[in-house]
Amino acid sequence: MFRGNLRKFFVAGISLFTLLGGVLSPMSQAAAPINLSIWTYGNVIDPVLIAQYKKLHPNITIVAKKSDLDGNAQALRYALPSSAVPDIAAVEISYMGEFRNYTQYLTDLSTLTPGAPSLASKYLSWRWNNMVADSGQVLGVPTDVGGLAVAYRVDLFKKAGLPTAPDAVSALWPTWEKFIETGKGYVAKQKGKAFIDIAQTIYTAVVNQGAQKYYDGSGNLVYDNNPNIQAAFNYTAAASQANLGTNVAQYSPDWNVGLNKGLYATVLAPAWMLQYIKQYAPKTTGLWNIATLPGNAGNQGGSALTIPTHAAHPQEAWDFIRWYTAPAQQQFDFINNLTFPTVTSLYTDPKVGDLKDPFFNNAPIGKIYSESVKSVQPFQLGKKDRLIDSTIGQALSRVQLGKQLPQAAWTQAMSDIRRAIN
Amino acid sequence: MAFRSSTVAPKNRGDRWGLLYVSPFFFIFGIFGLLPILFTVYVSFFHWDPLAGHNYIGLDNFRNLFTDPYFYRAVRNTFSIFLISFVPQTILALLLANFLANPHLKFKVFWRTILLVPWVTSILSVAIIFSELFGQNYGMVNVAMHYLGLSHIGIHDVNWVGQTIPSHIAISSMIIYRNLGYASLIYLASMLAIPRDLYESASLDGASKLQQFRYVTIPQLKNTLTFMLIVGTIGGLQTFLEPLTYGGVQGGDSRQFSTLALYLYEQIIINNKFGYAAAIGVAITILTVIISGVNFLVTRRISGGES
Amino acid sequence: MSPLLEWFTGPRTGKKRRKVSRTSYIALSVFAFLSIFPLYWLFVVASNSNTEISKIPPSLVPGPNFLKELKAVYAAVPLTNALVNTAVIALIVAVCQVFFCTMAGYAYAKLAFPGKSASLVAIIGTMMLPAQLGIVVLYIMMANFFHWINDFKAIVIPSMIGAFGVFWMRQIIDAQVPNELLEAAKIDGGKNFRIYRSVVVPIILPSALVLGLFSFLGTWNDFLWPSLVLNSPKRFTIQVAVNQLNGTYTVDYALKMCGAFMATLPLLVLFVFVGRRLVTGIMDGAVKG
Repeated sequence: MFRGNLRKFFVAGISLFTLLGGVLSPMSQAAAPINLSIWTYGNVIDPVLIAQYKKLHPNITIVAKKSDLDGNAQALRYALPSSAVPDIAAVEISYMGEFRNYTQYLTDLSTLTPGAPSLASKYLSWRWNNMVADSGQVLGVPTDVGGLAVAYRVDLFKKAGLPTAPDAVSALWPTWEKFIETGKGYVAKQKGKAFIDIAQTIYTAVVNQGAQKYYDGSGNLVYDNNPNIQAAFNYTAAASQANLGTNVAQYSPDWNVGLNKGLYATVLAPAWMLQYIKQYAPKTTGLWNIATLPGNAGNQGGSALTIPTHAAHPQEAWDFIRWYTAPAQQQFDFINNLTFPTVTSLYTDPKVGDLKDPFFNNAPIGKIYSESVKSVQPFQLGKKDRLIDSTIGQALSRVQLGKQLPQAAWTQAMSDIRRAIN
Repeated sequence: MAFRSSTVAPKNRGDRWGLLYVSPFFFIFGIFGLLPILFTVYVSFFHWDPLAGHNYIGLDNFRNLFTDPYFYRAVRNTFSIFLISFVPQTILALLLANFLANPHLKFKVFWRTILLVPWVTSILSVAIIFSELFGQNYGMVNVAMHYLGLSHIGIHDVNWVGQTIPSHIAISSMIIYRNLGYASLIYLASMLAIPRDLYESASLDGASKLQQFRYVTIPQLKNTLTFMLIVGTIGGLQTFLEPLTYGGVQGGDSRQFSTLALYLYEQIIINNKFGYAAAIGVAITILTVIISGVNFLVTRRISGGES
Repeated sequence: MSPLLEWFTGPRTGKKRRKVSRTSYIALSVFAFLSIFPLYWLFVVASNSNTEISKIPPSLVPGPNFLKELKAVYAAVPLTNALVNTAVIALIVAVCQVFFCTMAGYAYAKLAFPGKSASLVAIIGTMMLPAQLGIVVLYIMMANFFHWINDFKAIVIPSMIGAFGVFWMRQIIDAQVPNELLEAAKIDGGKNFRIYRSVVVPIILPSALVLGLFSFLGTWNDFLWPSLVLNSPKRFTIQVAVNQLNGTYTVDYALKMCGAFMATLPLLVLFVFVGRRLVTGIMDGAVKG
């Protein structure tokens, strides 16, 4: 009797487990078809291009998993030492400082066929070097680059008595001081309106214009005594205190509304943001134009594609990466999504270099942004870039909200960073 | 809630059978529940980077924690959010339960069921909705307050993310939204279990409905209130998904809504400091144990030891 | 008493005395409305274009775009797969939880075994630790030891038992199954498992099913762990799928809300059928504890 009950008990338990095992086992892979997995975020991987690739290689299915920016990096950190890695991992520019030295966990693309160095000359050199390790291994290929320019509202400038032609507007602000001055003049005339959507974007713009960002050439941290960083902080704080910007968060619903209602006269826009403006404020077509950034050189955003060392299909991954970042595909991505290419030959390509959009009053988008990215200096990226960006961003928000004076905010940011880095 | 120690008189076979019934639980819980926790405690004594390696640093993580102003801010935020969510939630739940307890109420089942709808919605969806509703310039809450004329008393375009207490109110409203129905049903059930004659003798003594509520209903609900308080504090100390989905992992420009669990998570994601995160986790557990203990003793004393 | 107040509360005495005050119905209606409104709002945003909801005052009426957004959601993620995956996983977890937690709850309620008190304390202790920490370690275990990354086992197996489930069933069995009944069954010559199966289980089955419902809902809404562990879009659960609808730096609200709406809809449908039982289960659990 004991055995009888016990047996029934175990039979029930074992049946359950067998059922579970049968239902839950992953399907075994057939020999020829390959699943190429990509871990990415946002719009780095364009679905139309994926479909094109499938047509070219019917046996390869691209399987993309999207997270948010920080989530993607964190997932990679814990997955890279194991075999549970994707074939391709996208890395965003704020994380390149960290991932470019993971030579143990990311494949050196120079060892693949054809080796990465043979492609290097095609790409914007400072973007290419973003993912080259200190010891020379090439760990990633750049996809796009943000670039930076000033998108301004022609109608609002006119109302404030400012010039409206792009050249004249660009001449208003050869320096950031002049930019802020123009802003103050605008705000004085147009009560209740903001000159720029968010003052904190000035910080990113200036910081990316320097010869150094948070690290020097030898990899030492210089965030606390780099004069360009301090200048960036001070310009932004000055803009905040002069009420040039609003309190909205970028890309929030409030920000969308502001775009539609013409609450901001200018927006510091990387190329891909122009697409966003078109999508979210379609009624403002023809009201915008594009001027150069003070200091001209500029960038915001950009990504690279890497191959983890434990990837299941490194060669197929490499074939895909080379195809995806090839001139033809980057051109397609730009025409359709305004993601600015890193392939330099495209800058003089008529479809890119001469691209004009009536939404922005036929401004020479291709030309402006290619000038902007070409002038960026190749500064050193490092492991704590993202952390320092976030912390200083918090400080600037506090200044904008009037919670702290600039000096106090800066001091707190410095001590926060020091504490977090240790 | 009574923890009755109701073991049957142990039989010879009792021990063996007991173990058998509980063994699947022990097995799975041991591997997937206990083991990660033990390992986490272990990690709290290290500086741990998944890719760069780890090294033993003894109690350094805990020393840093004691001197970390953001940890204490997270503690204050967590308590603040807990109070702002728990107190109104309890009051509202009691009121709703009182209405629902009326035996002559029509459409009883409808009211009870519809109040549960928020509870089945995922926190992600709730956060998406509430972030939009609490937008500073155009969110519906501010628009409604404007139409209600609150700008005349100075409440105007509240920044529900940037300012501390407003952000706590927004996050608490998410918590209340999800839990109110569930809490109401719990109190309702307890109210329905109160013997009718207590009310009858009270009304014979001339007590009004309000007085009956205060002197009959509430005291009879002591056990339930205690239970909800303890469960509420444990849950409140772990508030994580609401602030995360509302405003991001750093809890705002001044960490104004960074809760303990969110602060922990920030260490993992942004700072890449797994060891420090583990230390925070240990601290949260100790805090929870202490507070639950205090809650339990205090409420036991209040109810005169009749729990 | 002032006529205005009387309108709300009703006359206190006399024949016209209301059984249920108007206040009650008003309050209940307000909260019923507030309970439903956010979901309605979800649908409104999902069915309007993004520029519509960026207006002041925002549109309160659904627009014509829902099917269009739904198509976009389908283009971005395999939505039906996600729904089916989630339903299957949630069901399996629910069944397992009911099965194992009932057994364990029975042991804690009615049987004696070595380590009973100590293990109870340990379980309570672990319930007090934040889940996010365990997730990292669990991930490391899954990646390096079990190799269950991207496998549903990683989601199902750790969830087959829940500390909450064990407590719930312990409490239910304690309250609903009198010792006398068990004694009587033993005297009648019943053996332990038979007693469990034919005496205990029928009594607590309704409450156990409610545990199943809780478990189902919890698994359906879980997103942190599945988003870490599942890598192929075809394997995503519904919350992970909805999370895919973000842009790099931007958010398409109509798209995201449409996804969130589709993630909630099956639960609402389920709720129509089992809502009543869920209510009863919650209320029973509250009283008999």
